[in-house]
Amino acid sequence: MSNMDPRTLRIRVENISTIPTIPSVLKQLSAIIEHPKISLNEISHFVSQDPALTTKVLQMVNSALYGFPGRISSVNHAVMLLGLNVVKGLLLSVSVFEIMHKAMIGLREHSIGVAVASKVLARKKGLKEPEEVFVAGLLHDVGKVILTLVWPEEYDRTVKEAEASGIAIFEAERSRFSETHAAVAGWLAEKWHFPRKLCECIANHHRPQISSLAPLETALVHAADVLVKARGIGYSGDSLVPEVNPGAWETLALGEADLREVLKELEDSVEQTAEEFRA
Amino acid sequence: MPRIPVEQLKPGMKLARPLLNSSGMVLMAEGTELTEARISKIENMGVDSVYIDGPSRPARPKEELLSALEERFRKVESNPQMTVIKKAVREHIEAMYE
Repeated sequence: MSNMDPRTLRIRVENISTIPTIPSVLKQLSAIIEHPKISLNEISHFVSQDPALTTKVLQMVNSALYGFPGRISSVNHAVMLLGLNVVKGLLLSVSVFEIMHKAMIGLREHSIGVAVASKVLARKKGLKEPEEVFVAGLLHDVGKVILTLVWPEEYDRTVKEAEASGIAIFEAERSRFSETHAAVAGWLAEKWHFPRKLCECIANHHRPQISSLAPLETALVHAADVLVKARGIGYSGDSLVPEVNPGAWETLALGEADLREVLKELEDSVEQTAEEFRA
Repeated sequence: MPRIPVEQLKPGMKLARPLLNSSGMVLMAEGTELTEARISKIENMGVDSVYIDGPSRPARPKEELLSALEERFRKVESNPQMTVIKKAVREHIEAMYE
């Protein structure tokens, strides 16, 4: 099914809630966060009704990654501290984490790695909302999960093709599906009313130069992705390190000391977080 | 910080991460020093292992990590920006074994 019509692809992706292979938690979540005017209370209420989701949200906010380890004991508190956008992203990530692991072994570790590296870089660059960049990192590859859920066999073949020919996974996706996981996740992020900057980071993480609202944030997620692949944390469908975008790398102007620090933080937090979510 | 199986815990070790129950409540804070009593409490909670303060060493030998690094970078050898990144990762890996 190469040369799939991009419109067909987009329609299927945007209607994931009607696809039988999509897990129910993701369907419910999609119904909840599709409302553009969802309030913090409604989100808290939704999360609190699902013990598994509650546990995962609390685990995530209490993990060392968020800077308040072990201090948050209610979903309400978590939602207030982190804000609606971060919580929406967090909910999507915790609900796809398990599927992520089944979809592609190592994708969860890769995503956590990119989230951590994005956040460390965002802090270094003095960004006001490093948490939002963290979420962008966590979700940047969620399109791979969606593609696997909707077209499991075709996606599996795509990964094998990329592996065999040494091309990047997004190139293999484009030749089979007409679009990449980044575009797929970008559509979903838009449909779910994620902040536009977050949508841009996700949709353009392979081509940061085309981001207009969030060029710096996109460059951060892009660089984080390359660094995590360079360190060899997790697996994302690419076994070779891709080239970093020259413009993005120049904008970030990272020195040797910066790289050392990012790699160190990556090492410390990825293992822990991955273990916490292994359950 | 290494993750130590419960049966290898000894009094005097310090928790590197807080110990949480399944709903995310803190049972023992980060930095708690273990005693015989606390170790048996941890055992009773059905926890397999906990994070303990101190350096942790990678499970795989250094040579293996370094040759995997070479392999991953084989398509971008001629790119000067990638050379900077590779050098940083190499030094980072080497530092983990010091």
